Amino acid sequence: MRSFGRPVRAARGAEAPDADAPAVQLQGLTKRFGPVLACADVSMTVLRGRIHGLLGQNGAGKTTLMRMLAGLVRPDAGRILVAGRPVTVTDPATATALGIAMVHQHFSLVGRLRVWENVALGGRGRLDSRWTRREIGRVADGYGLLVDPDRRVDELTTSERQRVELVKCLIRAPQVLILDEPTSTLTPPEARHLLSVLRRVVSDESRAVVLISHDLDELAHAADEVTVMRDGAVLARRSAAEVDVGELGRLMVGDQLPAAVAAPAGEPREQVRLRIRDAWATQARRPVLRGLDLRVRAGEIVGVAGVEGSGQGALADLLSSLLPLDRGNVEVDGNPVPPGRPGAMQRAGVGVVPEDRHVSGCVLDMSVAENLAMTDLGPVSRWGFVSRGRLRQRAEATIREFAIGGASPDTPLRLLSGGNQQRVVLARELGAAASVLVVAQPTRGLDAAAVEHVFARIGGLAAQGVAVLLISSDLADIRRLAHRIVVLHRGAVVGELTQATADPQRLGLLLGGRPE
Amino acid sequence: MTDRVARMRPAVPARLVTPLAYLASFTVTMTAVALLVELTGHSAAEVALTLYQGSFADLLSLGRVLDEATALLLVATGAVVCARAGMFNIGQEGQLVIGALAGAFVALRVPAPGWLAPVLTLGAAAAGGALWAGVAAALHYWRRVNVVIGTLLLIFLASQLVSFALNRDWLLQEATPAGQNRLPQSAVLPAAAHLPRWGRYPGIEVGAGALLAIGIAAATVVLLARSQWGFRLRLLGLNPVAARRSGVRAGLVGGGALLISGGCAGLAGGVVLAGDVHRMQGGIANNLGWEGLLVALVARHHPAAVVPVAVLFGALRAGAGFLASTGVPRYLVSVLTALIVIASTLPAAFAELRLRRRPGRSRS
Amino acid sequence: MTGLELVLASALRLSVPLLFAALGEWIAERAGALNVSLEGMMLAAAFGGYVGAVATGSSALGLLCAAATGLSVALAQSGMSYRLTVDANVVGLTLNVLVLGLTSYLPAPTEPVDVPHLTVPGLSALPVVGGALFDQPWPAYLLLGLAPALWWVGYRTRWGLELRACGDGPRAADASGVDVPRRRRQAVLVCGAFAGLGGGYLAVAEVGLFNPNMTAGRGYLVLAAVIFGGWTLRGTLAGCLLFGAADAMRLALPALGYQFNPQLLLATPYLLALLTMTVLARRGHGPAALGVPFRRGLT
Repeated sequence: MRSFGRPVRAARGAEAPDADAPAVQLQGLTKRFGPVLACADVSMTVLRGRIHGLLGQNGAGKTTLMRMLAGLVRPDAGRILVAGRPVTVTDPATATALGIAMVHQHFSLVGRLRVWENVALGGRGRLDSRWTRREIGRVADGYGLLVDPDRRVDELTTSERQRVELVKCLIRAPQVLILDEPTSTLTPPEARHLLSVLRRVVSDESRAVVLISHDLDELAHAADEVTVMRDGAVLARRSAAEVDVGELGRLMVGDQLPAAVAAPAGEPREQVRLRIRDAWATQARRPVLRGLDLRVRAGEIVGVAGVEGSGQGALADLLSSLLPLDRGNVEVDGNPVPPGRPGAMQRAGVGVVPEDRHVSGCVLDMSVAENLAMTDLGPVSRWGFVSRGRLRQRAEATIREFAIGGASPDTPLRLLSGGNQQRVVLARELGAAASVLVVAQPTRGLDAAAVEHVFARIGGLAAQGVAVLLISSDLADIRRLAHRIVVLHRGAVVGELTQATADPQRLGLLLGGRPE
Repeated sequence: MTDRVARMRPAVPARLVTPLAYLASFTVTMTAVALLVELTGHSAAEVALTLYQGSFADLLSLGRVLDEATALLLVATGAVVCARAGMFNIGQEGQLVIGALAGAFVALRVPAPGWLAPVLTLGAAAAGGALWAGVAAALHYWRRVNVVIGTLLLIFLASQLVSFALNRDWLLQEATPAGQNRLPQSAVLPAAAHLPRWGRYPGIEVGAGALLAIGIAAATVVLLARSQWGFRLRLLGLNPVAARRSGVRAGLVGGGALLISGGCAGLAGGVVLAGDVHRMQGGIANNLGWEGLLVALVARHHPAAVVPVAVLFGALRAGAGFLASTGVPRYLVSVLTALIVIASTLPAAFAELRLRRRPGRSRS
Repeated sequence: MTGLELVLASALRLSVPLLFAALGEWIAERAGALNVSLEGMMLAAAFGGYVGAVATGSSALGLLCAAATGLSVALAQSGMSYRLTVDANVVGLTLNVLVLGLTSYLPAPTEPVDVPHLTVPGLSALPVVGGALFDQPWPAYLLLGLAPALWWVGYRTRWGLELRACGDGPRAADASGVDVPRRRRQAVLVCGAFAGLGGGYLAVAEVGLFNPNMTAGRGYLVLAAVIFGGWTLRGTLAGCLLFGAADAMRLALPALGYQFNPQLLLATPYLLALLTMTVLARRGHGPAALGVPFRRGLT
């Protein structure tokens, strides 16, 4: 017996599947990652024969919600009903057996294997290449998805891979198909084609599709219903008839953007501290920057808004010397800095508080003092040796100043809480930024008092003439601090707003890739 | 959220868990070895006594222990430096013989005044070992060849290279009078190139190599912990991405660590050659490279812990020589060595398994 | 016997243990598990196989014992590195030292064992290749079945596909529902059984005795052969035959009156493996995740 999925286990004590029941009902799903509440009591109904759009910013909880449905994350509370029957989705194989398939953003194809082998991976029973190829052909022809089953995935373009992912899902004849940002790496014609395929899936075969996206136009055109999530909760549901792009944008961003509480610190000066010209870059074969242009003047705080994959992360990597450019250049204080050379940005006076501190911001197995001195050993060394005394002295001062709780200079960073680890990185980079400071998600994991402290420090640095790039998905933060806001979409700047012109609707539209 | 220091709370007081785990692990190991000895018809007590007599019982044996420990210490110190940079060099056995080969070549071919001869010999040995490790480093950074595989394969090339040199009279083979069997070995090194030794039979003898090894180990402890170079090296090993952001060049620091590791192994070869054997032979490495690597593993890559572990392993090697006289095959010591390594890695591995299996831990 | 026949027969004879072990190491490396302990598996199996053969008086049972011994070393390797997470290379090196010590320490019998040759009537009389191909100890002919069978398992079964996915893209395999550490453990166990056959063949069928450290680096030679073969089964087996031939030439040429540098012949396999890696490494040959530990949830 060969098949692409594992057989459905009969649900214990379940009533017969109800043909009229919604494809999926999520009831009160809650998931907590450490201190972060990713999904809070989320309920949602996905109907057959509909494309259900799931809209939200980064961290809104939409991917976590769908990962619970796909068996990749176990919910802390709540229940899932598939075709009216309560089910427990323990792992991806169970999800497949229940007729749920998900096209992920990353990591789901093996590059060295051929297309048909990738499609067969995760299936059951005898491995039959001829049958698999024939099935691929059938599905591919049926949906107009051109794939060659005998090519190695390595050799495929991004959009070809996307088609393979889709075929891999569709061939399992799922009742519910989940796609996570499927069009973010596609060209517009490719994206339109994909959406037309999805339309066929729902209208001709009456399956259900969940389309995770933050592209407003895409959802407005393709979805029959849209659920908007923010901060782990469902905010609104709209049917296609009611959908108004402006309203969606406003909902995604939030209505209560605080009015600019106080004018940003100081006035920008004329001198341009950071200039990025026509930056193009690829990461893991995906284009991440496509002609990014950016100028930040001394004393200016520029907020960088954008959704996942818009280039926010790549911008931070570029300024952390982690991303070489295919084209374009970076200048700090008028001097060109070679992108991608270890430590070059650091030496040029760029401080970066990265979004994911564990990856590039700190070393868990080194002490607090060592983490504080990591990027610049000069002031604590003499004759090539690091002076313990000075290391400790500086660390003690910083620990007091930033109120890093539970830490002595010699405490291993691993033993600090997440919030305090974040403070260590912040303290170091705020101190190191001579010309440019890049802060990504600075307030994540900090309490209100700490946030105030950090904001005061950022404002103070700007007042001293440092150029600040504030990369954040928390638009309230950006709005409070920034002189102007640039919005990234698909690796380039799509629009720019000032404090005065930044209303939720315009911001939402720009985030969704709709320049005015 | 709270900003308390996050601590684990096991049933046994936290500070006792690790020592107890190691104690249990080593007890099991020793029991296993004792059982093995008894089951093969020997006396475990007698074996223990013999090993003691062959190592720590008198000053003469102690000198022997130091000789064995010297080479192990050098190899292990290099291995620690390399491992701390996040590279795994397992080719010390090859780097050691190449070092000895280079040392022998220089000692026999380059005339030098008294004090310079041993310096040149050891310098050549270190350079030889570094060069051999450098091949693996170059292949890694240039062609992304896996360091483990690269250094491993180079061991076997090294031994053939040595065999080649020792079978050619125009290279290193000892000149013998016609009619005699020609052995694959070099001539005896000129006396000037021998490393000085202090002390006299039947008292303890200490070679200059031992002092050198201790000096290098001490310098490594200090440099790793205190110098900018050591800081960058540890940074690279612990988090390569953060290291790159902070300006650490992986090729320079990591490749340099591999060279140092090879240099230390080569130096060990030079010390064995100039301090002990005094002529180049095929079997000069005698597993010192492999066992030095194991010393570093047991010391869990702490440069200071390497010293006592090297002495322990040196004692086992010295004791092994004695063991044969009692009719117990000396290979028992290899079994003991391997089991000590396993016993020293298991507690940490089990601790990690417990951590992974603990429910409710979120990914971060 | 002509010189060529002699070299050919000896080349094949020397290759057979390598071929057995290479089959196993190939499947393990395709799953992403590099086994430095291959040497230990072979040596332990040579001991176990020989003792088994002497004790039971049957070469078939002896080989079975060999496979079981190889399997037990593999069990230690897989348990420590793919269930616990001790570095696989550390475990491999340590197991090699342990096995070398144990097999040399334990008293072994000294009575020779003999394995009947399987001589194909008629064909074995063929000139040049007859003796080499059609007159070998019978277990050598197992290879004719095992090699195609393993190829079929590796490329034509779901298990094989999942193994290769674990070696090439463990994260994607995991997302598709494959239990990566489990598949790697299984691959190492299969490797142990094959390496056991190789070591057992060496002691029982080829030499007929056990000598301490009788594998003398053959395990490492097999590692080189898998690399030389570019991680394809055909290339791996060709590598074993080539390395066997190099060794045969080293042994036979002086007797035939030719002078050839024996050190170069001994170094050839490792030199070739290094060259292969230098050429192939960048071009994405070989399992992408070879020797890279897999931990779930780390990105």
